[in-house]
This record gives sequence, structure tokens and C-alpha cells, in this order.
Amino acid sequence: MDNNFLVIENISKSFGDNKVLENINLNISKSEFFGLLGSSGSGKTTLLRILGGFEKPDTGRVMLDGTDITNLEPFERPLNYMFQSYALFPHLNVFNNLAFGIKENFTQKEIEINVRNIAELLSIEHLLNRRIKQLSGGEQQRVALGRCLIKKPKLLLLDEPLAALDKKLRSKTQLELTTLQKKLKITFVFVTHDQEEAMSLSDRMAIMKNGLILECSSPEEIYENPKSLFTANFIGIANIIEIYKKGENFYSDDLGINFKLNKELKNTKTNILLRPEKIKIQSINNLKTSSFNSFSGEILEKSYLGSFTRYEIKIKNMIISVLDQNFNSNTNYNFPKGEKVICSWESESIKVLED
Amino acid sequence: MKNKLFEKYFVFSPYFWLVLFFFIPLAIIFKISISVSEWGMPPYQDIFLFDNGFKINTTFENYVYIFSDYYYIGSFVNSLILALISTFFCLLIGFPLAFYIATSNIRLRNILLVLVVIPFWSSFLLRVYAWKIILQNNGILNVILLNLGITSEPLQLLYNQYAVIMGIVYTYLPLMILPLYGYLNKFDLNLIEASKDLGLNRIKTFFKVILPLSVPGIVAGSLLVFIPVVGEFIIPEMLGGSDRLYYGKILWEEFFVNRNWPGASALALSGIIILVLPIVIFQILYSRWSQKNEI
Repeated sequence: MDNNFLVIENISKSFGDNKVLENINLNISKSEFFGLLGSSGSGKTTLLRILGGFEKPDTGRVMLDGTDITNLEPFERPLNYMFQSYALFPHLNVFNNLAFGIKENFTQKEIEINVRNIAELLSIEHLLNRRIKQLSGGEQQRVALGRCLIKKPKLLLLDEPLAALDKKLRSKTQLELTTLQKKLKITFVFVTHDQEEAMSLSDRMAIMKNGLILECSSPEEIYENPKSLFTANFIGIANIIEIYKKGENFYSDDLGINFKLNKELKNTKTNILLRPEKIKIQSINNLKTSSFNSFSGEILEKSYLGSFTRYEIKIKNMIISVLDQNFNSNTNYNFPKGEKVICSWESESIKVLED
Repeated sequence: MKNKLFEKYFVFSPYFWLVLFFFIPLAIIFKISISVSEWGMPPYQDIFLFDNGFKINTTFENYVYIFSDYYYIGSFVNSLILALISTFFCLLIGFPLAFYIATSNIRLRNILLVLVVIPFWSSFLLRVYAWKIILQNNGILNVILLNLGITSEPLQLLYNQYAVIMGIVYTYLPLMILPLYGYLNKFDLNLIEASKDLGLNRIKTFFKVILPLSVPGIVAGSLLVFIPVVGEFIIPEMLGGSDRLYYGKILWEEFFVNRNWPGASALALSGIIILVLPIVIFQILYSRWSQKNEI
């Protein structure tokens, strides 16, 4: 796979005294669905706007398919940008919105054919004569997508593509978007503040904070093996525990128990991550706690989530979250509030956070 | 119940205002315009005579007189052309200004808006007079041009139709900028970026996106400039020369110099009808069009 389809090199950008992006480097492959995840103010949208040509970076350059596009105007770039607000033209109907970008270089007949094809692809053939105001949010999203795709861009940039949709429509559209992207093999780069959206759409994703990329990897890798404390907390539910070297093993003052790791550590003191679904929860009658990687605690809170039950378990000074799969329908898994339970985990499940 | 009655009449109060200050004066002017003129005070005869039994004493002579003399029609045409040219220049200068104001940040925007409105706070007459000082033969502009050696003798800048156009554009520019700003203020700037992203350069983006979406503002501003300029009297009087006669001036002379009240009334009424009818028709067609296009 061509790993250098889109190369972002040393991009920095400031607005006045405000450093929005600091030395961003990214390599994105052809046909990749790439996500930029961060909270507001992380610089993710500015990065996307630099790719779109709406902002000029202070330093660095952007290479697309071997050509330097850093100083090209938006209308000279072989890519398209889908706005969060969709930015559909209110004075034109759906047909003319779709045809907007190809009117110049195509004959009337070619325009007709292209618009029909793209409308068919997105199942919006029946909307072609509608005005933009007569469309629902989901329909507008499709028109905005179609208006970009009709230009057959090398790269499609999407700013919060699903944010304006309601929750039910969002998950449906999510699936459609990934299917579409795999079918068309166009490189997609999108921005989101929603971690679920980022995880379900992306082949790879970058976590951004304060103008920096903290981590860039597949969603699985970022969830299972986050490198930083921020990422661990940002993605999913995280139990973060501080441990330090004590004899053979490690010890946590907060929990008052021993940890056994299956690898050596550089530092004597470190944070570890324990995902809630990696923790096994058992009735205290069945067994005793072992001398490491296990503790007994009391169930403080419990919320039934359908396929899972989430428990908040109190032990010493800490509250540990545990997700227990509702595996079968009899009750040996379903612990009431206030019950004493034993929690345990495999030593492979302990992830060491480097900073 | 009494309250209800009050509410009912309160709702109609704009119509009372309209009747009192628009339709009644208009009716009086109409009455004078069909009266027979005579020497005296007032300089026209009553339209109802009772001395020898009841008699209606009206004439359309005044209208015939106005429309048969090119002196009057020509001045009206001159005023229409002046209004068209002035509106065009107001639009040409006002649109970029309004767009710039609407798209600048909030602090700069407020300062610029105040700068646009400030001239309204000083006397209209004084401002026009100031232009006289600037443009006259030994005025500031001519002094600068002479000292720079661009001309060897003072240019005749004042007392011609160009000075009139300049004065009108200067005076009426805020009336163009403010309604335009009102519309452009609501303009979604993402639409401009979207257009560029879809491959249209700045000029094409202007004609395909910005201009069509600004039509309501352009129409509002243009009407606000065009209509009063047709009847404009002071600026042509102060800055204009004898090269062109304008409608407002003729009307004034007919009324106060010639003391031909019926003729002046006929002229005024004809002007209103010629000007207002096309605009009303235009407004009806335009509102239908904009409803259809949902702008």
C-alpha cells in the first residue's frame, strides 16, 4: 500500500499568539479512512481546513499523490471538503447543487448522466427537483456528500460528517459511509469529537490535543494499548492505577494490592490502565482472593446496559469500573448493590502507560 | 368589550397615519391638478361651483399641457437617467463595502458601521456645500492638481452633471450600504468556501453564489436610492449647472416661480404614477420570484 499518498510535514499554525498546530506530521495511505479525533480547541478542524486550502500553514507542507499542494487555492486542489453545516446552496435545487462543481467542464448531457449516477449511488434520485429547505438533515448530508463525490476527488475531507444527524440516523449513516468509502476507494480524512464515531469509521485515527498529535494508530491499538494517560482516558472507560516497584512485584497504595506484570518496567513508578471489560467479577463465596492481580470490594453502583452490566466497585480509596457481559439469563452474574465481590484479571490485561 | 374595540382601532392606526399623511394630501394634489388655473390666491378655481346652480368645474388641460411639452418630459427622463446612473455607482461602491463590513470581525464591523452612519448626524445641506468648496475653481482639489502639475489651469469640476452624480452617490451611499449589510450579515461564509472547493475561482464564486444570494439586499438598497434621487432637488440645484434640467427643479419652479399650481400638481402626480406603478409591478413579480426561489 502506498503509505505516502497524503503526507503532512511539519505543519504549524498560529492565530495571533494562539498556537493552534505544532509541528504536525502524518502519512496517510491511498484509500484509507482516516480519523482526526480531539475535543474542541485541539486543532483538528484547523488541520482539515489547511488540507482543504482554506487556511495557509505558517510552516511545513502538504503533499498529495506526489505533488506539493501547500500553496494551491482551494479551487486548484484535486480534493473536496464536506462542511459540518453542509453549506448547500439555498438558491439552487438538489440537481444544481450536485452539478455545481462539474458545470464548467461538462456538456449538459454529461452533467445529466453524472448527476443521475451519483443520485442513484446515494439513493436521492427522487429529490433532484427539491429545494434545499425541503430536505431533512439526512437528505442534506447525502446531497453534500454527492456534491463532493461527483467531482471524483483524490481525497475527501469531512468535517464532523455525522454531527448534525440524530442518534438513530447517525449509526445507520456511519455504516453507509464506510461501505461507500470501501466501494469508491477514495481516501477519506474526517474530523470528529465523538470517539465512537472515530472508532467505528476509521481504519486509522490520530488523537489530537492542544495542537499536537498524541497518538496515531488503528482504533484497536489505541483502545487496547494507549501510550498516554490522556488517550487512555479519552477513549472508552479507563481504570487508571498508580503502581510502584515493591520487591518482586508492583504495589498500589490506592487499592492496597499487589500487581504482577508480564514485562519489565523502565521506571519504578508508573500508571497502568485496566479496561473495565478485562476484569472478571465473581461471587466471594466461590473463591479467595489471590495474592496478586485480584481484590475484593463492595458494589457501590450498578447500571444495567442490556448486553452489559456496569458495576462501580469500591476498594479502599478507589472506585473501579467493571463491565460484565450478561452472558446467560440466570442470576449468578447479577450482583446486587452492596454485595462483596472478588475481581481479578490476567496480567496481559495490564497496560503500562508511558507518560 | 371596550378594550377589544381599542385593540381593533390600534391595529388600524398605521392606516390612519397613511390616510392622514399620504392619501389626503395626494387627493388634494389631485384636486388641484384638475382645477382651472387663474390669477389670484389660491391660483386656481374651485372644482365645484354653486353660484349658478351646481356645476363641476374641472379640466385635464394641465395634463395635456405637461405631456405635450418636451421641457417637462425631458426633465423627467433626465432625472430617471440620473437616478439610474447614481444607483449603479452606489451599488458599485456600496456592495464591496457592505460585504467587507459584513465579513469583518465584530469590533471592526461596529466601527465601520458607525463611520457609514456618521454623515447622517451632520446637516445634509452643509455636506453638499462642503463639496462645493472642494470642487470649486480655487478649491482644495484644484489646488492639489495645480501644485502637482497635473493641470496647468483649474478644471471646471463644479456645476455640471458629473458633480451632481458625485454629490448624489456621496449622499445616498449609506442608504445602499445599510440594507445590503443587513442581508450580507446573514450570509453563510461556508457557501463561499464550498464554491471554491468545488472548483470555482473568486470571480465565478461571486457571480454564481454571492450575487444571486444578495439579490434581496441589492433590490432593497437600489429602490431606497433610486426613488428619492428621481425627485432630488437640492443637490442638482447646488452642484449642477444649466447643462441639464431635472424633474425636482422643474417642479419647484412651476410651483413657486410660475405659480402654476394646477400644472405643478399634474406634474407631481404624473411623476408619482410613472415611477410608482412600474415599481409596484416589479415588487409583486419579485416577491413571487423570491418566494419560488426561497431566497
